[in-house]
Parts: sequence; structure tokens; C-alpha cells
Amino acid sequence: MSETLLSMRKITKRFPGVLANDEISFDLFKGEIHALVGENGAGKTTLMKILYGLYSPDSGEIYIKGKRITIKNPKEAINGGIGMVHQHFMLVPPFTVLENIIIGEETKKFGLLDESLPAEKIKALMEKNGLIVDLNSRVEDVPVGLQQRVEILKILYRGAEILVFDEPTAVLTPQEVEDLFKTFRQLISQGKGIVFISHKLDEVLEIADRITVIRKGRVIKTLNRDEATKSLIAELMVGKPVLLEVSRPDVKEGPAVLEVKYLSLQDYRKVNILTDVSFTVHAGEIYGIAGVEGNGQTELVEVIAEAAPILHGDILLNGESITNWDVRQRREAGISHIPEDRHRYGLLLPFSLAENLTLGMHHKEPFVNRFQIINKNKIREHAKAVIEKFDIRTPSELTTALALSGGNQQKVIVARELSTEPKLLLAAQPTRGVDIGATEFIHNQLMIAKKEGRAVLLVSADLDEVMSLSDRIGVMFKGRIIKEFEREKTTKEEIGFYMMGEKEHAGN
Amino acid sequence: MPVIKFKFNKYKLLELFAPVAGFIASIIVLLIIVIAVGESPGKSLVAIYKFSLSSSAKVATILSMSIPLFFAGIAVAFAFQSGVFNIGVEGQYYFGGLVGAMAGIYLHLPAFIHIPVVVLFSMLGGALWALIPAILKVTKNVHEVITTIMFNSIALAFVNYLVNGPLSGLGKGKSLEPQTAKIQSTALFGKLNGAFRFLGWNVPDYVYLDYSLIVAIIIGFLVWFVLFRMRYGFEIRAVGTSLDVSKYAGIKVKRVQLAAFILSGALGGLIGLQEIFAIRGYYTYSIASGLGFDGIAIALIGKNSPLGVVFAAVLFAFLKQAGYGLQFYTAVPNSVIYVITGLMILFIVVINEVVAAYIRALRKKEAV
Repeated sequence: MSETLLSMRKITKRFPGVLANDEISFDLFKGEIHALVGENGAGKTTLMKILYGLYSPDSGEIYIKGKRITIKNPKEAINGGIGMVHQHFMLVPPFTVLENIIIGEETKKFGLLDESLPAEKIKALMEKNGLIVDLNSRVEDVPVGLQQRVEILKILYRGAEILVFDEPTAVLTPQEVEDLFKTFRQLISQGKGIVFISHKLDEVLEIADRITVIRKGRVIKTLNRDEATKSLIAELMVGKPVLLEVSRPDVKEGPAVLEVKYLSLQDYRKVNILTDVSFTVHAGEIYGIAGVEGNGQTELVEVIAEAAPILHGDILLNGESITNWDVRQRREAGISHIPEDRHRYGLLLPFSLAENLTLGMHHKEPFVNRFQIINKNKIREHAKAVIEKFDIRTPSELTTALALSGGNQQKVIVARELSTEPKLLLAAQPTRGVDIGATEFIHNQLMIAKKEGRAVLLVSADLDEVMSLSDRIGVMFKGRIIKEFEREKTTKEEIGFYMMGEKEHAGN
Repeated sequence: MPVIKFKFNKYKLLELFAPVAGFIASIIVLLIIVIAVGESPGKSLVAIYKFSLSSSAKVATILSMSIPLFFAGIAVAFAFQSGVFNIGVEGQYYFGGLVGAMAGIYLHLPAFIHIPVVVLFSMLGGALWALIPAILKVTKNVHEVITTIMFNSIALAFVNYLVNGPLSGLGKGKSLEPQTAKIQSTALFGKLNGAFRFLGWNVPDYVYLDYSLIVAIIIGFLVWFVLFRMRYGFEIRAVGTSLDVSKYAGIKVKRVQLAAFILSGALGGLIGLQEIFAIRGYYTYSIASGLGFDGIAIALIGKNSPLGVVFAAVLFAFLKQAGYGLQFYTAVPNSVIYVITGLMILFIVVINEVVAAYIRALRKKEAV
């Protein structure tokens, strides 16, 4: 093909006890989108941090346009024409778009900040790439998709030719993803090169020219787009065949388990977070909530899982109002909860796995006797059974939760919440930050729960996930469920429109 | 799985190593300071040895001194376990001791009932003094550090007033320090020295190894049992580890903290047992001060575990004795001795924390 922009040769990086990168070679041509895929902990991030000068490699060489360079810090990476759009944006929210773009590269005139010169330059960049943003709005007032444009403009302003995107689509709606891909195509047509890191294989197949799969710190294979399929990539990533499509059991819907009626909630500033939210989840049904994050989904799950002072409305479980119940009553009535922020809510890290697996049921027999004395044997037996059933990888049930890998910690939470045999399972972002293998596991567990006649409320920012698992889908926008769909009777695009609130008033 | 077993042992060894290393480091600092003030290090070490480990009498003295320190440490540690920072053990001890003493003075009971009763009344008094800060914390979110410090001052002034006024046991014109009436003989704590001598440990009569030692052993066991073998203790430790996780799991966080706070006060009420019921036989506002604060450091060094608190209390008693030794036999000024004991505590705590952080980092790496 054409000229090589970037070439990383035999990069090795060792952390104590882990070989993060094992002689990884990776190159990028001019005008190419090269996808980098792999499970969490496979070494993608380490490789990119080496490229960006955040880590220095133990051995290996980096060439840019055939010239060998060493990158000691991000400044040198930027000077070498490397730009990175991080998963979490590096923007200063109260600053304007313009200020965010020029930050660190300000031009001065008589010692004063000069904004007119860069403004011209940025406007030219915006037109050339179709990245239109109002330079004078504050970043905090701008939607996420546009914030990403600001990030892209920021690196283009610094003259980047090698653009690294770390999970750029994770926070975007389908329409925003389309826009981003248009930008990608525009950029490569100007001879730039793009490294695209993503978990979403559909997107990788749609946009990438070549795909490099990394597993356990090694390059497994680099594929051209025409030879790649979704199942092949997944298999290379995991190291064994993966079932990507969830088989959906045919379950006859039972009676209503969860009924939410005209629920409204305000925050401490008296701003409505939820407004007249109503929906029903039946036994044997998965009800998915789609929506751009921050439209009230988090609060909706919280208010069902735990008591919170609501403005008005009612929450019913099996026909009984639970609105004024505390967390323990709700749990005992059969509500389980896979929390969104698992680091914060999920586990008592210094406690043993066995103790963590009984958390929430720890006060009930057989885990305590009637004198409230803990029965350690019963706790261990229960833990052993759950570890076996849910295939949690751990040396023993007495290992502290702290000592488990992230993926296994997630599994512990899912296993615990399902081992209570709940009537209603609240699953908030259940696969966020989880690799393919664990995602497959969690999806299967949700399906098993459905088959066993449990009601499942699934909230996910990943529209594909909501689409493939749910029986019915409610779209949340600004604290309301603005539209409800049967899964078979809608498309991703249609839901995407509602997610952006564009049909806010058209529905109903 | 031998590999895992080895790793487990490695952490345990490291954990045990921390306080030892801290102790050694603090001794080195001590010697440096001693040299700096122009005293001979050898002479100082001998002085410390003479006052701490040279005879069974000295060892028994350290054990005796560690009893109130143990109560102070366990009181603070119990609250710590639930995430409550009870700085008010000092006040709870003053007030608890007074309530216990009142039961000892004014109730008429046979000894085998009277002694448990004064113990319980001391706990009750300590609990009462913790009650208001505890309620303010869980209902109004008033931080306990503020309220308990205030309550320390209130306690001191309050018992001062009571002992000088309504509860004074002195006739008019007596020039003794203000104090209550004498505690009845049925409530006084006898000594265990005879029993120890019978067991072959030569404890002289002037050392106080009294019934409070038995109370300490019982309390230590009970606290351990509640914390690590009962559901309440599990919830206390869970709340102390993470409020968010505990709430999520349905634990009634406020109720747990309220209970732990009040029970911590009850434990604090026991600090005065030895001095009031074994040594003095009456109550005065000038009972040993500062023990409640020593309890904070003891809990910290003992990592809030009952067994750890036992060791930390003995260590503290040793440091105090070492200080007396330096005072007695060397020219090291008094104030410098306080500096040294303070530094030793600091060193042990800091090295403990550094090692704990190191272990955490090791574990994290292995988890990858």
C-alpha cells in the first residue's frame, strides 16, 4: 500500500508480575484506519500509552515516517504528529470551545492572549473536516458528540497526522457514531492515519481497513477487512469460539412484577430528574431502557432499589406498593440489583469472597443462627456452590475480593445478585467495562433469569445490548420515557432518534 | 495449592514485620535524640531496661499499666470499626467512672453482685456520655470529632463541679483534694497478685493486678466475638469499610453507627475501673487524664483488632515505663522524653501504613 506513517517494532513492556506487551509490532499507513482490538488487559492501552509517551518501553523501537524516534512524554508525541482522543475527554468544562482547543498552545501578542489568530486557523480546520462547533460556547453546555469534535479539533490544531481514538463510540448515539465515521473518512482522505480502539466489533468491521487482534500482550493476527468476520475476531480475541448471538428463549410472559406509576423525582436543587415515569415489567420479560447517559436512568434504578424521597408516584412489586420500604425490605421481597457503579457499591474489597457472596443475605438463616451468630461453614459452602455454578476464577472462597481481577469481581456481583433467586433483577450497565468472555456470560445469565420467570429491568448505554436482549424497550430522554417499543417492531435508527429527543413531541 | 499458601504466608509475615520494624526504627530515633541531648546511649538503654524488663515486678507493672490503656484502645477501635471517629473516649471515661463510683458508693449489695454492677454502671455512664454526639451524628450529620471534643471539655468541667459540690464526700474545712465519699468495700476490686504468686509469678504487693484484668480479658473476648463471629459485628465492619456498599446491601447504616458509637462509649467507661475501684477507692476529677487520647494511638497501632489492641496497649505501657526510666536514671530532660514517646508512636504507625500500602500494591499486581 502507501507510505508507512507509524511503525512500532517489537515493543515489550513488563510490569511487576505481568508482561503487558510482548514484542508487539504494529504499523499504520497513510490514509488508513487500523483497528486495535483485544479484551480488557490484553495490552492495547499499554501500547497506546507507550506511543503517547506515558510509559517508556523496556525494549522495541518506534518509527514515524521511517525515522526512528524516542518518545519520552506526551509533548514529544504531539510534536511527532501523534494525537490521542481519550475515552474520557480531557476538556475543561467551564472554558469555551476555542479556549479548550488552544489550551497549552496559546498564541500571545504583547504578552496577552490572542484569540483571533487561532480562531481563523480553527475555522479553516472545521470547514476542511466538516467538524462544525460554535467556538464561543462553553464546553459544559455542548452535547457529548460535539465535545468529541472539540477533542478531535484539539489534536488537529496541533498538527496530528496519527490519530488514536480510544473507545470513541462508547458515549455516542448511533447517529453520532455515523457522524464520527464520516469524519474518519474525511480525515483519511487527507492522508492521515487513524488507530481505532473499540470493543464493538460491528463498528470495527464497518470502518477499519485492517484489524489487529491482541491477546495477553501479543499480536495474535492482523487481518484485512475482507478476510475478517465478527466471529473470527471474537475467537482470536478470546482464544476460543465465542457465541455472539444470544439465544433468546421463548418464554410466556407472566403477571406484572414491577409497576412504576407516574414516578417523579427531584434533586436537591428541585430540578426534575424523573418526570411521570410509568412502565411495567412482567415475569419472564426483559424490559430494556435505552437512552443517552444522564437522562435519569441511573436515578430510576436507584429509586427502585433503595428508598429515596420521591416527589410523587408509586412503585409496586407484585401489586404491593414498596415506595416506602427500606433497602432490606425490598431485597427480602425479591429485588436484586447489579449496580451501575460497581467499584463504589458492589463489593467490600478487604472482605473474603465468601462474605461478599452473602452480602445482603448475611442477616438471614442459614448464614446466621437465631442468636445472630455467624455460621462460617454455611457461608463457605454457599460460596463454594456459587463459585462453581458461576465459574468464578479464584484460588479459594477465602480470598479477599481485592485480590480478584476486575472481570471476576464483576462476576461475583452478578453471581450474588442472581443467587438470591430474585423476582426482579435490576441490571444497570451490566457489561460496562467487561470483556467479551464475561459479556457473553452475563448475557447468558440474564437470559437464564428470564427463562426462570424472573422480571429483568435492563439499563444500558449500549444500544446493541438493549436491542439484542430486551423484549420491550423504553427510551428515556430528560427524565421521561418518551416512547416504548416492542423489540421486533423497531430499528436501531428509530430508537436513536428518540434517544436524542428529536421525536420528543412527535411520539405518543 | 502450595503456591497460594506461600503467598498468604508472605503477607502475614510482612504484616507482622511492620510493628517490629517500627519499634526498631523508633529505638534508633530514640538513641539519636539521646546522643543529640548529650547523654550516653548505652546508659539510656540500661535505664530503659531497668524500668521495664529487669524484674518480674517491672514486667507486672507494665501489665498493670496496660489494663486501662487496653480499655481505651478497644473503645476507640470499636467505633473505628464502624467508621466512627470517637475522640470523646476521654469524656466518656470521666463520666462513666463517676456513674460507676456512684453505684459503688450509694448502692448496698453483696460483693459478688456489687462488683459486676459497678462495672455495668461505668459502662452505662460512658454510653450516656456518647449518646448525644451519637444521636447528633446520625440524625443531623454533625461530625463526631467536633461534638466529642466539646463533650470532653463538658465532662471535665461537669465532674469537677459535681465532685466539688453536690457529690463531695469531704467534710467542711478538709484540705484534701476534692473527692467523693469512699466507695463501699463490697464494690472494691481485690488483687490477683496472690493468685499469680501461686502460679509461680512473683508479683509484689505494690503492683495493681486487680479484678479489672479479668474484666479486660472478658471484654476483649466479647468484643472479638461480636465483631468477628456475630452478624452485628459483620455489619459494623461492613459499614466501616464502605457506607455505600452497606447501604446497597440493605444494612441500616445509621442504626449500626449509632449502636457502635454508644457501645464504644460504654467500653470507654471501663478505663477508670482500676484507678477508682482498685487504687483509690473514691472518685476525684484528677484521675489520670489523657488516657482517652492514648486510646486513639493504641487503636491505630493495633489496627482496630482486639488482639492488636492488646499488643499496642502493652507497647504503650512499655513506652511509658521507658520514659520513667530515662527520667530517673539519665539527664534526658522530661520534655524530650515526651517527644521521644511521641516519635516512637509516629514511627510505628507510619511504618505500619507503609507496609500495609506495600501489601496492597503487591496484591493488586498479583490480581492482574
